[in-house]
Amino acid sequence: MSNTIVTIGAGQTAAVAARTLRRRKHDGPIILIGDEKYSPYQRPPLSKEFLAGEQEEADTYVLDKGWCADHQVELRLGTRATRIDAADGYVELEDGSRVAGDKFLVATGSRARRIPGLEGERVIYLRGLDDATRLRNTLRPGARVIAVGGGFIGSEVASVARAAGADVVTLEALDTPLERVLGASMGQVCARIQRDNGVDLRTGEAVESVTETEGGVRVRTQRGTVVDGDVVVVGVGTVPNTEVAEASGIAVDNGVLVDEYCRTNVPDVFAAGDITNHWHPLFERRLRVEHFDNATKQAMAAAKNILGRATVFDDPHWFWSDQFGLNLQHAGHAEAWDDIVVRGSVDDLDFIAFYLDQGVVRAAFSVERGGDMFMAKELIAAQTTPDPASLVDEDVELAELMAS
Amino acid sequence: MSEWVKVADMKELARRRKKVVNVDGEDVVLFAAGEKVYALRDTCIHEQRSLAKGTLFNGRVICPGHQWQFDLASGWEETQERCQPTYEVKVEGDEVHLNTQQRVLAEND
Repeated sequence: MSNTIVTIGAGQTAAVAARTLRRRKHDGPIILIGDEKYSPYQRPPLSKEFLAGEQEEADTYVLDKGWCADHQVELRLGTRATRIDAADGYVELEDGSRVAGDKFLVATGSRARRIPGLEGERVIYLRGLDDATRLRNTLRPGARVIAVGGGFIGSEVASVARAAGADVVTLEALDTPLERVLGASMGQVCARIQRDNGVDLRTGEAVESVTETEGGVRVRTQRGTVVDGDVVVVGVGTVPNTEVAEASGIAVDNGVLVDEYCRTNVPDVFAAGDITNHWHPLFERRLRVEHFDNATKQAMAAAKNILGRATVFDDPHWFWSDQFGLNLQHAGHAEAWDDIVVRGSVDDLDFIAFYLDQGVVRAAFSVERGGDMFMAKELIAAQTTPDPASLVDEDVELAELMAS
Repeated sequence: MSEWVKVADMKELARRRKKVVNVDGEDVVLFAAGEKVYALRDTCIHEQRSLAKGTLFNGRVICPGHQWQFDLASGWEETQERCQPTYEVKVEGDEVHLNTQQRVLAEND
């Protein structure tokens, strides 16, 4: 019996799955099918080190070619899959040919959400290496960058652009950037970080149109604000790449639906990473998460499940942002909370904030406090209900609160 | 070149369980965990953060920068499949001795 595992997608998720499968002694063929021409690469540097010119293309690669050769992992790059037929055991490609497989991992990821009407030569939706290279080539002293979206992508791009000597105007549709994730008070902290670093951040400004001008571009907002620039970079979230799943009879609803074992509704078909709308046992709801750490950890769980080793994926979710010389981190998931308590100093940008819902720690957000984030994740995962006074008391070790 | 040098006294590790020492121009962090002392290169292989500012937990040090978790003994980071450089350590009486030869264990096996 053959035991070929095929991933649809060849990004971080597929690469980590391949590594995990080999480490866990899977000895059958592994084939990664990716529509991009590049070897599996990491996207976080595209708005950070790569954009800043501190890293080159090869620095972003997850799997090197030598490792793939040694471990018999086949990369089918620049190749678009159209459909999985798990019952008959193959993936159909765009040209009609087939790749035989026994188990399948949907790792098609997500793409940049586009704003209708916001297209053009000078408009960049930052998602892939080519987008980042285009943007990087525009960043120079005096360049006028218009960032649409003041979230983490927008602020990271602004950070790199400012460091390159460019002027940045950021148009954020919400009244406070990141309000949905962080709430108004912590969103204001992020706004302050941007403004303190010379970003002209304008909130409540939804973009209406973009027009090419002589040598530049002009953006108008619904409020009537007009901004002229050299380049527009858009970071307003992502949408899942569900086409292959939909064509394969796999249940989709804001992403591919999977259970806590990364299983889809189709036998022998698993999914992981940005594409999944996964049942999360800790938060008792479905979540679609577009973060690198989720891609990594869910891929590891999926690989183990593919090999028949039942592994629940219940990581509390974590992501980071490096911007303006500061390290921001977030863990957990909270849509509503009764209280945000702060350990450290918001004024000094050295703190971790805990989001409490009926006393339970549900999420945490830190600025320059990554040292506390590991225990914060543990507190979230254990659904602890620590005394808020202890959470903010720096004389109390967070580890001591695990029993609460 | 490999040689053993005394880098600390045990009592220096008693309270905070960690200490940064400099060996041949490189910062090395010592961690006392359980009955043993471990030595890793202090600068994280990822983004140059100091592991001394990290958290010790279950035989690992968690880097504050991006939450990479390094095994104290081997330096191994499971999700990244990479290794932080480590050093061999001997405790002789109250003295902590370190082999100056930095090693990278278990890289991409």
